[in-house]
Amino acid sequence: MTLPILPTTMVGSYSMPGWLERLKTDYFARRISRHDLDEIHDAAVRSAIKDQEMAGLDIVTDGELRRDNMIDYFVERLPGIQIDRSSKKFYYDFYDSEVLGKIPMAAVGLVEDFRFLLANTERAAKICITGPHSLCKRVRNKHYPSEEALATDIARVMNMELKELVKAGAKYIQIDEPYYSGFPEDINWGVKVLNILVEGVQAKIAVHICYGNRYGKPSWEGSYRYLFPAILDAKVNSLSLEFARRGGEDLDLFREFKVPFELGAGVIDVKDNSVETPDIVAERIRKTMKVVPAEKLYVLPDCGLFHLPRDIAFAKLRAMVEGARIVRKDLGK
Amino acid sequence: MGLSGDQNSPGSKLNLHLNHTHKDSAPATTSEVVATVLSLLEDGQMKPAQFARLQIHLDWLQYKHNFREAVTVMQGGEEQGEGAAPMEIRIDSRQVAPGSLRALLQNAMHPAKPDEDTGRIYFEGFRSFRTSIVWEFNRLYWQRLKDWEKATGKSYEQALPGGKSDGNEAQGVAEAAADFWTLLKDLESQNRLPQELFILEIGVGLGKHAGLWLDSFCALDQGRGTNFYPRLRYLLGDYSLATLEHCRPAVKNHLDLCSFIALDAMDPIKTLSFLRHKVLHVHSTNMYDNLPDEEVVWRDSRIFWVQSRAYLPPGDAARISKACDVAVAEIPTIVDRLLEVGIAALPDRAKGMVFWMEVWNAMRTEEKLVDAVDMPDASFPAGLSSAHMEDILRTAPNDLRFHLSSGALESFRNTLPLLHPRGYLQVQDIFATDLQDYSMGFHGPGKLDGSIVNWVNGALLREVAERAGYDLHFAPFKYRPGSKTSVLYTTRRE
Repeated sequence: MTLPILPTTMVGSYSMPGWLERLKTDYFARRISRHDLDEIHDAAVRSAIKDQEMAGLDIVTDGELRRDNMIDYFVERLPGIQIDRSSKKFYYDFYDSEVLGKIPMAAVGLVEDFRFLLANTERAAKICITGPHSLCKRVRNKHYPSEEALATDIARVMNMELKELVKAGAKYIQIDEPYYSGFPEDINWGVKVLNILVEGVQAKIAVHICYGNRYGKPSWEGSYRYLFPAILDAKVNSLSLEFARRGGEDLDLFREFKVPFELGAGVIDVKDNSVETPDIVAERIRKTMKVVPAEKLYVLPDCGLFHLPRDIAFAKLRAMVEGARIVRKDLGK
Repeated sequence: MGLSGDQNSPGSKLNLHLNHTHKDSAPATTSEVVATVLSLLEDGQMKPAQFARLQIHLDWLQYKHNFREAVTVMQGGEEQGEGAAPMEIRIDSRQVAPGSLRALLQNAMHPAKPDEDTGRIYFEGFRSFRTSIVWEFNRLYWQRLKDWEKATGKSYEQALPGGKSDGNEAQGVAEAAADFWTLLKDLESQNRLPQELFILEIGVGLGKHAGLWLDSFCALDQGRGTNFYPRLRYLLGDYSLATLEHCRPAVKNHLDLCSFIALDAMDPIKTLSFLRHKVLHVHSTNMYDNLPDEEVVWRDSRIFWVQSRAYLPPGDAARISKACDVAVAEIPTIVDRLLEVGIAALPDRAKGMVFWMEVWNAMRTEEKLVDAVDMPDASFPAGLSSAHMEDILRTAPNDLRFHLSSGALESFRNTLPLLHPRGYLQVQDIFATDLQDYSMGFHGPGKLDGSIVNWVNGALLREVAERAGYDLHFAPFKYRPGSKTSVLYTTRRE
């Protein structure tokens, strides 16, 4: 499947409908069964895929609508992690979870959900995985001597799973590591475990690093400067960074450090309900192209669209796709 | 409290809900109410079916100055007989003249028909309380405060309980400034301290809080040698330009750091969108309790909206007509002019002032309940859907009347996006912190001088906050003994 220049895609999550939120909460309150919830998830994911296709995205995801949040979907599946299932008030709360012993090498079970995505679209498909650094920040470590040791074992297990995903047809894999920005002092070992995670995984791999999007607001502020030079050792194909909300100041870092990666540039502010015009998007893309050539550029929102109302999320995607088309036209593509 | 009623209807009972009765007068008042109701039943002036569905709330009112008659009746729905919605009678015994209770109750049992001329001067049709003309009077008070203060001979702060605003309690302000300093120090230690340190105060009064806070912070900063003070950007926000002008002298020592910004307290992000995620601290005192509000009733697993309409009782209208040399029929027109131009609404400004005060003091509201299913277009404030509301009420006591605190919820929700990831909001106000509180007392609205005072539904604020990523905490205001003020503050929810 050939992608156009300036391919468009989501960071991962799509708008979580109010009705789905309510039904998820009903599930946790034991008002509906797991079977019913699975069927509801299937319907919601199909709808999210359809919206992305209608918006014109080149690479689609499953909208992450099966996930309560970016952590629990994985800690529920990772072998050896204990979860207190009574610890949620709302479905999107984080579970209290802890690791009491060495994490065994066992399947995580992400393949089935990815196959569902492949079966429901003819577009290129991407799966997004929360990275080991971010996961270890939400799991209480009662076994390993350090966070790095815990993250390393998580990375080893997840590496196996990524290879299974590739066997199942995954060509685009995104690793989400927003907690790098909250704990910049971890960046050296964070990159080391990232490399363990992606070792031997034959797919196009991006790492998404933002400043957090929990509850639709940033968790931290600062500059991407902390990533450098450590991130240059990452064995990934591209970085996915947020620039729409924060402005493009940090783009200069790409020039300063001669960054070899492709860039997934965030051109849609996901923390603001006002919808960008295609011209604004085009302008943001052009600004990025002053630092990174179009051939190495992907066009994305700053982060997931989870917290935006569906109509706004859809309109933002449409504007993003239209903005990319405007620039492609400039380029004669 | 249930009381057996008519012997032919053995299951009949009334519910008597004792709220704010005063211990000295409660036994006599309660006995008189019960005796009067039973005698009305025995005399056939009350039907057994009415009695069986009757709820009496005594004393209904917390605030002596308020918008209710001594006895008010409210009935939801039009059905009669066994299926009839409960009739509620609310009694404010402080307004009941000796010997008049029976007549008042009889009247209450037979409310006027919709087209019957009661002699009342209505200012509006039934509507949500938040859109009532009473809030226009509240606005008039703040915009033309000087006229009111001149007429009463006292400042608005003197009308507050305790004679001054809790926002200006020096020790409380100093501790708040110290908490902010601690936050800055922490951010600095993590190398995350922004260059400009934004603080926003919404509803600035006379500027005393801002002045005290800046004095305290400046002294602390100098004493500790941290040099944060010059980086402060203190924004004073208020919807009244006159108020912003008046508060300048109170911050005269810090003018270089201050900005005076006209903004809508219910939508600060609209004016300050350029500061999204940049404000480290937002403060307000006694602002939420003065924002437009409405009420809902939760009964039999259904939500009812309380609709109201403001009016002048006939006796008061006649008295005002005479005192101000205006025809009774002209009163609504003059009220419109008053709200537009102030006391110049009458050629004689002194009489204009009298007109304003008399109309305000005499103003009452009638109420009715409307089933939410009959008002599909009515909506809860942003952040609260009806489904969300039903979730909240699932565990609440049945038969609950509570504030929606619409204005406060909107203000709150439209302030949160301004907060820096480590920023926090602090609000000093009067809060019902649990929905159960509404079963145990009444919390406004009342009249405080020319303005409205109303408790704020902290329980709903907490729900909205949780879904926006914040935990809410309420601490008692410890700096003035007997104060009903609580301090709301936010912490980030993980």
